[in-house]
Amino acid sequence: MATIANKKSRQRRRELTDGQFALMIGLPVILLLVVIVAYPLVYSAWMAFHRIMFFGGYRAKFVGFKNFATVLSDPEFWWCTWVTIRFTLESVILTMLLGLGIGLLLNRPSRFGSLWRTLVFLPWCVSLYGAGLMFAYLARGQTGLPTAILADLGMQNVPDFMTTRSIVEVLAIGSSWTMAPLVGFFVLANLKTIPKRLYDLAAIDQLTPLETFWNVTLPPLRFTLFVFTSISIVLSMKLFDLIFVLSDGGPGDASSTLTYQLYKVSFKNLNLGYGAAMSFFLLFFIIGSTMALYLVWGRREKAL
Amino acid sequence: MKRREFGTMAAAIGLAATPFGRAFASVADLEPTSGKPVYFRGWQFATDIVQSNVKRYNDLEHGKISYATVTGDYPSIMEQSLIAKADLDVLYANPSSAVRYYEGGWVMPAETLPAIADIKADMLPQFLDAWSYDGKLLGLSYFASTRGCIHTNLLAYNKAGMTDKDFPADWDALYDQVYALHDKGIATPILPHWFGEYFGISWGFVMEVLNRGNPVADPTTHKPTMTTDPNGPAYKTLAQWKKLWKSKLVPQEVLTYNEAAYIDAFASGRYVFSPQQIYDVQTMNTPGRSQIAGHATILPVVKQSWGLIDSALYLMTNRKRPEAQTDDVKKFTSWYGFKDGDGKIYVGERWMESHLLFSAYKSVMDSPATEARIKQAVARPDDYAVLLDVYKKTPFPTGIWRVVWSEEFNSYLRDTLSKFLLNDGDIADTIKAMNDQISSLNDKYGI
Repeated sequence: MATIANKKSRQRRRELTDGQFALMIGLPVILLLVVIVAYPLVYSAWMAFHRIMFFGGYRAKFVGFKNFATVLSDPEFWWCTWVTIRFTLESVILTMLLGLGIGLLLNRPSRFGSLWRTLVFLPWCVSLYGAGLMFAYLARGQTGLPTAILADLGMQNVPDFMTTRSIVEVLAIGSSWTMAPLVGFFVLANLKTIPKRLYDLAAIDQLTPLETFWNVTLPPLRFTLFVFTSISIVLSMKLFDLIFVLSDGGPGDASSTLTYQLYKVSFKNLNLGYGAAMSFFLLFFIIGSTMALYLVWGRREKAL
Repeated sequence: MKRREFGTMAAAIGLAATPFGRAFASVADLEPTSGKPVYFRGWQFATDIVQSNVKRYNDLEHGKISYATVTGDYPSIMEQSLIAKADLDVLYANPSSAVRYYEGGWVMPAETLPAIADIKADMLPQFLDAWSYDGKLLGLSYFASTRGCIHTNLLAYNKAGMTDKDFPADWDALYDQVYALHDKGIATPILPHWFGEYFGISWGFVMEVLNRGNPVADPTTHKPTMTTDPNGPAYKTLAQWKKLWKSKLVPQEVLTYNEAAYIDAFASGRYVFSPQQIYDVQTMNTPGRSQIAGHATILPVVKQSWGLIDSALYLMTNRKRPEAQTDDVKKFTSWYGFKDGDGKIYVGERWMESHLLFSAYKSVMDSPATEARIKQAVARPDDYAVLLDVYKKTPFPTGIWRVVWSEEFNSYLRDTLSKFLLNDGDIADTIKAMNDQISSLNDKYGI
């Protein structure tokens, strides 16, 4: 009897699909997230339909869709949306290229492999606040690295990168500097799973290094790259700390992304209803861009 | 015998009436009784000094002060904390924030302190006025300074063939000299007050308009007072800013500097003039810290004042807490913001000694120790008198700072002025927009 029962039990376990298994192990986290996320989300939605006042006694007045309409007619919102898109594109592309490069370099046999891995991973451990301070010093003409190099070469130029033209690029470099090591390590982990015999076969077929990379190395990495592109998009679109410390949204509003603008509207000007409405547009952009990425790229990929 | 035991005994034998008696009697008054912590928060400035002051209070008075600093956009963060009724009892605030917090019903005025009569009697009148709202003194003196007095790099100035006799007497003369210095080969003659902090470019505009004779908004009605007359203070200020920006004598990155970068920039010696804090005369004259050490002075007041009053107070919140704990908050505030158990303005005097932070108390500012300390910080003996004169004549923008919307207007000004420079804005339109913003804020708050 016990043997039959065990056999049935094993059959039931075998019957679990990938999706069911994923749901089973993910359910507790999903439930926790619902509890943690649901309250602030519902409260934000409530605020978005109200005008909230703190002076002369706390008051909240229902205003319907007025806050949403005001957001759409606000030129500053559209400017910040453009800055967000520009920053996200640059940051994600840089992060993924750097991450891929780090993974490939660390996968090569090296005498000080462990040391390199530790050093390369350090930027990920630096807080965004610290990274912001560092890049501010590096990018400014006053204290910057290019100024120091030029001074060593006997030139008195003071290259200034904290300008309206280049500030978004400075932010993108700072952001990718902190994120790329993580991508690099996941790429490295993925690379370690590629059987060596595939490279031997490629050598027998006399593939060039580029062909080997394209046909042997890249295919198993594609799912990882897709996942991290999605993560980088989300992290870039909601990045705040680095921008706050490095440029404070400036010069002027040259680096005011939607997240920074949200902070300004909600916490500096205490316009909570308007800020909440704007936050739903940001949420829409984040969900929209990751969904678009999935449709264009993700649904063709499968984890190995 | 311990000091406290001696104090008790002394009080018991009737020494309270002697000159020492008051001091020792007050020891018992400043000791907390609730057994609960008092939460003290401030911005990041010389936190080691604050920490040791707090430790001294905790040691001497058996206090339970929990001190921590706040990083980031201080006024907004504190406002959120006050709204959220967070654990917060004593905090730093600029006068404009203090007014807003008071209007929000989140802080209690210093009037509730037992020693309020002594505090007011010792306070310099201009600060008593600047820090009072609705007839009540809102807080106690942390520091009182002149922001925007014109620091001058004498090394570069003298090298360009100019001496004290050539010092500009007002803002227009200053700008004229900037271009003259540039013609003499100085690449960056001025570092304007355009940095990115909440007290950067916006305060830079306010101080210049004030110095030129316009209060920005009426001190009583808070109605806008700036005009689009080309000879008016606001117009002339923006016209000079536009000309300076277009001349490319100022790097764009100034708009993103924090205060430390702004101070470092002037200390690098590359500039000749810059509106800075009066107490940073010490920084600029410190060897190893500044490239112009021993050669930094400030412009004297001749035709007009320079800068504006930049000050901060210790405020007490009125969050819900037991009566005994509120009494402890008052005791600590009194000790920290005025006199300690020995009747000494310990914290105020220490700030003067360590960082040259001016105080609003006459007894600190008039003391021989303060005079010696300032003389030690300035480059030349005569600068002491100049410094005090500039300090005494500094104006306060009552019309826009003693009103509930002050911080909102400040945030608006910061954005508007940066964009004015970056987008080559129209002067008259910008002034009109600023006036409209003041009017709209008055409407918003029913003023």
